[in-house]
Amino acid sequence: MEILTGNELMSGATVYLDRDGNWVEDLQRARVFLKEETEVRDAAIAATKKTLRINSLEIEAVTLRDGLILPDRIRERIRADGPTAPRFDRQHLDRDGHVSI
Amino acid sequence: MYRYDEFDAAFVRERTAQFSDQVNRRLAGEINEDQFRPLRLMNGLYLQLHAYMLRIAVPYGTLASRQLRMLAHIARKYDRGYGHFTTRQNIQFNWPKLRDIPEILADLASVEMHAIQTSGNCIRNITTDQFAGAAADEIVDPRPVAEILRQWSSLHPEFSYLPRKFKIAMSGGPHDRAAIRFHDIGLQAKVDDRGIVGWEVWVGGGLGRTPMIAKRINEYVPNEHLLAYLESILRVYNRYGRRDNKYKARIKILVHETGIDKIRDEVAEEFRAIANGVLTLPQAEVDRIGAYFAAPEFERVNATVDVAKERIAEPAYGEWLDRNLHPHRQPGYASVTISLKPIGGAPGDATAEQMEAVADLAERYSFDELRVTHEQNLVLPHVRVSDLREVYDALVEARLATGNAGLITDMITCPGMDFCALATARSIPIAQEISRKFSAPERQKEIGDLKIKISGCINACGHHHVGHIGILGLEKKGVENYQITIGGNATEDASVGDTLGHGFAAEEVPDAIERLIDTYIARRETPDEPFIAAFKRLGEAPFKEALYGNG
Repeated sequence: MEILTGNELMSGATVYLDRDGNWVEDLQRARVFLKEETEVRDAAIAATKKTLRINSLEIEAVTLRDGLILPDRIRERIRADGPTAPRFDRQHLDRDGHVSI
Repeated sequence: MYRYDEFDAAFVRERTAQFSDQVNRRLAGEINEDQFRPLRLMNGLYLQLHAYMLRIAVPYGTLASRQLRMLAHIARKYDRGYGHFTTRQNIQFNWPKLRDIPEILADLASVEMHAIQTSGNCIRNITTDQFAGAAADEIVDPRPVAEILRQWSSLHPEFSYLPRKFKIAMSGGPHDRAAIRFHDIGLQAKVDDRGIVGWEVWVGGGLGRTPMIAKRINEYVPNEHLLAYLESILRVYNRYGRRDNKYKARIKILVHETGIDKIRDEVAEEFRAIANGVLTLPQAEVDRIGAYFAAPEFERVNATVDVAKERIAEPAYGEWLDRNLHPHRQPGYASVTISLKPIGGAPGDATAEQMEAVADLAERYSFDELRVTHEQNLVLPHVRVSDLREVYDALVEARLATGNAGLITDMITCPGMDFCALATARSIPIAQEISRKFSAPERQKEIGDLKIKISGCINACGHHHVGHIGILGLEKKGVENYQITIGGNATEDASVGDTLGHGFAAEEVPDAIERLIDTYIARRETPDEPFIAAFKRLGEAPFKEALYGNG
């Protein structure tokens, strides 16, 4: 299973593509693409690239556990939550930082 | 300190305006990220895990109070109230927003600062000994020549698209405090038979995935020919350095694969063609730049401080005096290291309030001057011994009075996977746990001089290869794993540390370090024998046994 993630242009904040085509801050709202949804995923990537507003666009492998989305890579878990040391809140989107496809 | 002339000011102002326009075009969607990325990197703006990161140049690690105050202002207004000092004597802000970057650059320009050449395949910020111009053992203050090299290298048209980034470090004395043998070019001051100061030139050093100790390419290059000689090295590198594989593109690979003798011949041939030309440095120009770095008007004082007595009266102050002072060339003065390694803290971080406190101290007690060290600390270079108590009290108030310079808790640590997009493991939590484990002052004193250096990936920004004990974080099957190296040394006795065996889980690292330390203490000949000397004498066997047992 996979999700799409990137960094929003103005704030650099970590964002995820949700089911409605919005790029959102909350990992748990991310759309999870199954193996057979490659075409949909790739169409979402193409549409996102057209916005010019999401950088470092990546496909990330995830696992579903107890109803939660858990990225396979530690790096992605840290990206979702913010730095662990020193502990800082993650970067947030500015009011005009919302991107949809 | 050097002050911008009209050219410098116009150049930085124009660059700020140019990049502001580029940011606006990116925000308006007129250019895409593929077009914008190289432009932002040329201006020190990276995109990291959580946000943009702006890396600001601190040329040869020298700052004035007003510049540090501006950095504090930027931290408070545009970031999250702190900054991170790096092993390249620069400062990084981890949370700026793209639309604020033009204003930040304008603020920086107002105090003669910028973020140019802190990224990209160009000649990067030139680093020096943090005690330059102050150290008792110095042959010459390297900063005038460093400033000349800065002017030569800034947007050098021929060297703006090198095969890979290029780093130069300088040391003005016999003791290498700038790790010059681990730079693309290292320059060490040297006096010839006539007593004239020039430079011993080292080339092809570096860390990263292929650590190399630099080779000496020239025993002595006089000041007047230094620019032409360095230009010759850069031309040879620019011509022959590999561009097909970024992992083999640094000059260290070229020197290693070609051989230093052949490289020396190539450079000599190039030098013959351009020597005595436009790059010959007139003494008048050296003197003009040198005047900016003239020694302050020191008072003739002979005050001393009785460290042993102070330690009895107040152990923390005594320990700080013992560890954080460096001998000054002027009697009655000392250079003060301000540790940015509080117990359990993030190495190299300083809050806006701390930066302002240090700026105040520099203004009041150090002729308005301060330094950033490649070991991620700050320095007040010229403090009267009679002022040390007042400086210490102010540092206590600012929570900057940790007396641990050069001790086990004074670790170099890269930002690691908590911030860096390249990292494969976290670094800062490892440093924090080691710091806490060895927090007791008596324990640190018992161990003595020891350099632990931690990197969160093979790129080695935390200099792990040259730590007496090095720690390299990697990801192994989805778990952070830490390799421990031993025997590295960044000084004139340069060596690259060796890995002794398999890596450790994060929670195992502090205990593993403790086993190495206990072995050292049990085996050292005297309490004064430093860790690195004991390691060289004993070899790896006892340390390997300490880490992995005798099976």
